[in-house]
Amino acid sequence: MTDMDLVNAVSEGRPRRSWTFTIGAVIVGLHLLVGLSTLFWTPYDPSAMSGGRLEVPSFEHLAGTDRLGRDLFTLIMIGSRIALTVGIGAVIIGGLIGITIGLIAAFASKTLDDMLAAGLDILIAFPTLLLAMLIVASSEGASLGTAIIAIGIANSAIVARLTRILAKRVLAMDYITASRISGTTWLGVVIIHILPNIWPTLLVNLALQFGLAVIAEASLSYLGLGAPPPNASWGRLLQEAQGTVYSAPFGAIAPGIALVSLVIGINLLADGLRDIADPTRRRRS
Amino acid sequence: MSGLTTGAGVILKGNRLNARTITAAALLFGALAAGPVRAQDFDADATINIGSLYEPQNLDNTAGAGQGINEAFNNNVYEALFRLADSGAVEPVLAKSYKVSDDGLTYTFTLQSGVKFHSGDPLTSKDVKFSIERVTSAESKSSRKNSLKPIASIETPDDATVVVKLSSRSISLPYNLSYVWIINDTATNLTATEDGTGPYELEDWRRGSSLALTRFDGYWGTKPSNGDVVFQYFTEATALNNALLTGSVDIITSVQSPDSLKQFQTNKDFTVAEGKSTTKLLLAYNDRVAPFDNVKVRKALARAVDDSKVLKAVWGDYGTLIGSMVPPTDPWYVDLTKTDAYDPASAKALLSEAGYPNGFSFTIDTPNYDPHPIAAQFLQTELAKVGVKVSINVITANEWYSKIYKAHDFQATLQEHVNHRDIVFYGNPDFYWGYNNPKVVDLIKQAEAGTTTDEQTTKLKEANQIIADDAASNWIYLYPQIVVSAKSVSGYPVNGLNSQFFAGGIKKAD
Repeated sequence: MTDMDLVNAVSEGRPRRSWTFTIGAVIVGLHLLVGLSTLFWTPYDPSAMSGGRLEVPSFEHLAGTDRLGRDLFTLIMIGSRIALTVGIGAVIIGGLIGITIGLIAAFASKTLDDMLAAGLDILIAFPTLLLAMLIVASSEGASLGTAIIAIGIANSAIVARLTRILAKRVLAMDYITASRISGTTWLGVVIIHILPNIWPTLLVNLALQFGLAVIAEASLSYLGLGAPPPNASWGRLLQEAQGTVYSAPFGAIAPGIALVSLVIGINLLADGLRDIADPTRRRRS
Repeated sequence: MSGLTTGAGVILKGNRLNARTITAAALLFGALAAGPVRAQDFDADATINIGSLYEPQNLDNTAGAGQGINEAFNNNVYEALFRLADSGAVEPVLAKSYKVSDDGLTYTFTLQSGVKFHSGDPLTSKDVKFSIERVTSAESKSSRKNSLKPIASIETPDDATVVVKLSSRSISLPYNLSYVWIINDTATNLTATEDGTGPYELEDWRRGSSLALTRFDGYWGTKPSNGDVVFQYFTEATALNNALLTGSVDIITSVQSPDSLKQFQTNKDFTVAEGKSTTKLLLAYNDRVAPFDNVKVRKALARAVDDSKVLKAVWGDYGTLIGSMVPPTDPWYVDLTKTDAYDPASAKALLSEAGYPNGFSFTIDTPNYDPHPIAAQFLQTELAKVGVKVSINVITANEWYSKIYKAHDFQATLQEHVNHRDIVFYGNPDFYWGYNNPKVVDLIKQAEAGTTTDEQTTKLKEANQIIADDAASNWIYLYPQIVVSAKSVSGYPVNGLNSQFFAGGIKKAD
C-alpha cells in the first residue's frame, strides 16, 4: 500500500532517493526560517525611511531601497512571512473544505453526487484568481484574512474533486464491502481505509495548491486586493516597483526572485513527495 | 528643477533651449546662412502622432466622454466663445467682442464673421444658443453644468449677436463658456461624429486605437502648421514610452512617472518639457466628523507631514509644493507653503491642546492606483511619529465615487484633484469633504458676483488664505505636467490646464 511506503521512507530514516525533495525542503525551510525570524528581528524597521530614493543594492541595503527610501531586503523578508502565512492558511482551509466535500460526494447518493460534482466543475471552471477577486470584492475591504479565505475556497474545489475520485476508487474495493459486513461504520471506513489510502496523493496535491496559493496571493496584492499596505506582500512590492522598472530594476527583480524561489521550492518539494509516495516511480529509480 | 520653472514652462535637460527660441533661431540663421537652406524649417503638411493614455469614451463632452475628449477636441475640432489658453488666460475665440451691462446681468456677444462649420454651414447665433443649452440641459452630464446655472435666458436678436441674461452676477461667465463647445445646431449623433468650427475635422476614429484629425481647409483663423494630427491611445505607460522611442508617436501628452523620463533625458533625440498642471494630491478629511471637525487636529496633521519627502518619493525632482488648493497658475494664488509647514514638535503640542495627547487612530481610504498607495504609506509613517495611528483601506475608483464622493462615508481619503479653478469646491458645504466655513462660502459667492476681476481675485485670495489657515484639507503637492517629444517636433502646449492639448501650432521638421 502506498501510504505505508511513504511512512516507512520517512520514519525508518531510509536514505531518500528524491533529491528534488531535499532541494525543495531546503528552499522552503529557508523561507520559513526568514519568515519566522521577522517576527523578532529585521535589518531595519520596515516603515523607516532609512535610505535615499531608489538606492541600488549595497552592504547597507542588500536589495536597495524603494521610492520612500525603505529597505527592500527587510520588506522582502516580511514578504516571506506573508506568503507562507497565506499559503499555509489557504491550504488548511482548502484542505478541510475540499476533503470534507469530496468525501461527502463519494458517499452520497447518485443525485447528490452528481450535483456536487457539477458544482465543483463550475467552481473549477472559474479561474482561481477571479474567484478570489469576487470573494474579496464582496467582503468589507481587503485584508490578509480575506485573501487567505478567498484563495482557500478557490483551492478547495480542486481538492474536493480529487478527494472524491480517490475515495470512490477505494470504496469500490472488495475489502470495503468486507469491512462493512463485519460491522465497521462509514466513519470507520473513512478513517481506517479511505484516508490512509488517499493521503499521499492528496498531500502532493495540497503541496501544489500551496504553490498556487502563494502566486494567487501575490497576484491579488498586485491588483490591490490582498493585504493592505504596509503589509509588504511581494505582489505589492512588484506593483510599486512597476513604474520605476527602468531606473531601479532591482526593485522589481528582488521580490520576483523571492516569489519564484519559494514557488519553485514548493514545487520541487511536491515533486519529491510524489517520487517518494508513488511506488511506480520508486521502482524505476 | 533648480529654478528652471518659470512662466508657462521651460524645456528641461535633454534640450536646454526653449523650443520657440530654436524655431526663431533656425529661421534667423536660415535666412543668414549660406547654402541651400529653406526659409521654412518645418513640413506644413506633416502628420503629428500624439501618444496618450486617455482615450475618450465617446465624442461628446456632455455625455461623460472623460478627459480624453478635451485633450483631442478642445480648440482642435470644436471651439468655444472663449478659450482657456495654455498660459491660463481666458481669450476670446468665436466671440469677437462682448459687452456687459452695468448691473452685470446681461452679456452681449458679437460673433466672429466668416466662421464655417466643418459641414459647410455658417456659424450663427442660433448655433451658440443651441450649444449652451445642450450643456445646461437636464440630460447633460457636463461637469460645468452647475457653473452655468446663473444663465436665465439666451436671446438671438440677429445672426451675429448673442445676448445672455443672468439671474445673478457671474464674473466667470467667459471662463465657464470656454467649456461650451459651439456645435452646429443641425448636427446629430454627436457621440460618434462632430460638426465644429475648429482648425481640424474628424477623419477617422478607431475605437481602442486612434483618433485621426485632418486640417479643415475652410478654417476661419490661423491655419495649423501641420497637416494631420493622430491621437494614438495606449492603455499602458511603458507601451507608450516605447512607441515614442521607436518613433511611432512624436509626443507624449502627459508623463505619469519620473522614472521613465531618464531614457529620454539622456537621449539627444528627445525633448522633455515641464509645464504647470492643475492636478493636486490631497489628503481630504471628512471635516464633519470628529476629530477632523477640530481645526487644531487638522493643523497638527498638516504640520506632521513633510510634503517635500513624499513629492520626492513619487516625482523625484519634479512637481511643486503647495500650501492650499490654488496652483500658481491661478490669478488668486498666494504662496501658503509656510502655513502649517513641517514641524512635528508643534504638531504634537497642537494635538495635546486639542485633547489628543496620546494621538488617535483613523483610516485613510486610498484609491488603488499610483501614487495613492505609496503616498498613504508615507502618511502612515509620518503620522505615527506624532502618535497618530493610520490604517490604509485600498479601494477602487468606483468605490471611491460611491463610498466617499456620494455617501460621504469616510474619515479621510487621498485623492488627486485635476480640476482647474476648483477652490470654489470649498464654498460648497455639501461637497464630499464637508468643509463648512460660512465666511468662505460667502467670499466665494461674492467673488463670483464681483464686478471686476480684481475684486474676484481679492475675494478668492482671502478665501484661499482662510482655507489654508483652517487646514481644511492637507494639500500634499502639485503634480508636474511633463510632455516628452521627439526633437523634430515643437510648438506644442506644455501646460496641462484642463487636460487640453492644442495641436494647431505643432511643427515637425522635415
